[in-house]
Amino acid sequence: MPEKNNLKYYILFDTNTHGFAMQALLKEEGIPSRIAPAPRAIQGELTCGMSLMIEPENIGDVRRVLEEKKPRYHAVRSLEGQINPHRDRYC
Amino acid sequence: MADNLQMWTDLGMDVDKHDALCQVLPTAFGDVYLSQENRPEGMGFYDFVVADIHGIRPSELIEAQKNGRKVFGTFCVYVPDEVVIAADGIVSGLCGGSQFWVEGGEKVLPKSTCPLIKASVGARLDRTCPFFRIADMYVGETTCDGKKKAYEILGEDVPMYIMDLPQMKREKDIVKWAEEIKDFAAKVEEFTGNKITVEKLNEAIHTINEKRKALARIYETRKSDVIPISGKDALLVMQIAFFDDPARCAEMANKLADECEQRVKDGVSVFPAGTKRIMLTGTPLAIPNWKLHHIIETSGAAVVCEEMCTGTRYFENLVEEDLGSLDEQYMALSKRYMKNNCACFTPNDARIDDIVRLAKEYNVDGVIDTNLKFCCLYDTERRNVERALNEAGIPVLGIETDYADSDAEQLRTRIEAFVEMLG
Repeated sequence: MPEKNNLKYYILFDTNTHGFAMQALLKEEGIPSRIAPAPRAIQGELTCGMSLMIEPENIGDVRRVLEEKKPRYHAVRSLEGQINPHRDRYC
Repeated sequence: MADNLQMWTDLGMDVDKHDALCQVLPTAFGDVYLSQENRPEGMGFYDFVVADIHGIRPSELIEAQKNGRKVFGTFCVYVPDEVVIAADGIVSGLCGGSQFWVEGGEKVLPKSTCPLIKASVGARLDRTCPFFRIADMYVGETTCDGKKKAYEILGEDVPMYIMDLPQMKREKDIVKWAEEIKDFAAKVEEFTGNKITVEKLNEAIHTINEKRKALARIYETRKSDVIPISGKDALLVMQIAFFDDPARCAEMANKLADECEQRVKDGVSVFPAGTKRIMLTGTPLAIPNWKLHHIIETSGAAVVCEEMCTGTRYFENLVEEDLGSLDEQYMALSKRYMKNNCACFTPNDARIDDIVRLAKEYNVDGVIDTNLKFCCLYDTERRNVERALNEAGIPVLGIETDYADSDAEQLRTRIEAFVEMLG
């Protein structure tokens, strides 16, 4: 399990339903995504919830799908250093 | 997710304080879970549950309450879910697994209390967990002294019912536990306003047995040389099982088990061949306590079994089904639950037998006996655990830890040395 400490993109949603619809759409398009808790730093409000995490190499394809298919989402944000398996910070 | 904020406010939560947890959880989950590669697709459900952990299930529970159903919060694998479900109630596990809640518990408990108890009390009194706000009644049990006294404090703030768990396993103790279950059933009937019938209890017993079988299927695949699922993913499944709807839990666990079984057939492992296989034994790992699994699995080893309440103790042994009277059903429940081997019992030789049996079944290279700080019961039992494993020729490492990050580096050093020693 190699260390990953690089840039990630997160698609944020107003509701989980929008998140699942987006996940299904991306799967249809063959674009990998992973469900992740929305990082608080980019969530922008006093809550938490579902996001879809996208690897940088796939963000171009995601943006194309967002433009063409117009699915519902709140925002796309990037964040560096979000995943580091050797950070040893738990909760 | 603005709905969550409104829900938390309506529940009387301290949303500002709760936000500190919202800030650390995504990072910890990312580091521990999303750093993994080639996970089973079925883990997507569990990732989603964590992603909205204080939103999705709490909102379901509140909706059920609006329809007149009652939510019972529990802290232990001895409390029979079947009784609550038979009265159309809902069970939600309440054990706290985060350092975030510990400070709140320390305001009213001695510092020398185990972190699980401190976190559980802190989550309630600091109003920072929706599950602790939603539960209509808490159900405690007389397992350890720390919990018994903590229940007195919680009882000042929320309706509390205590089951008197025997501390020995003689025939008369099993009869006594059946009587306790019967008394609990009467309380549940009174609180919910619903009668428990033989038919309803049989249905509930079947539902929970199906959940146990589904979880057991996932564990069965972990016995294979090919390890289809990481220890931390299996742990997450178990942790979520404590508060998810039992039928959905069985459905999702069965889907994941299908996938894990296929992976075993196809030779798909999440660890390189030859990775050392570790079994954990000891005190429970309540959500979101992922520290030890993560350290082990980023130190060159894989966790393949947990002899814990958040592990085999939760699903091993089924309750006899289709009995014809409530008294027979209560006895059947007692017999199954009294097969759980907690260190609060004396003697507790059956747990030692379980550990050696499971170590062989899961073909482990070593065992890590891990106990939460200040749990003197499990700490004392360590002597018997180590002796039995030594006699069986199975290497064992004893660890005492809590929820804090401060000992992570030291743990990593000790675990890396242990794994290296396994050859």
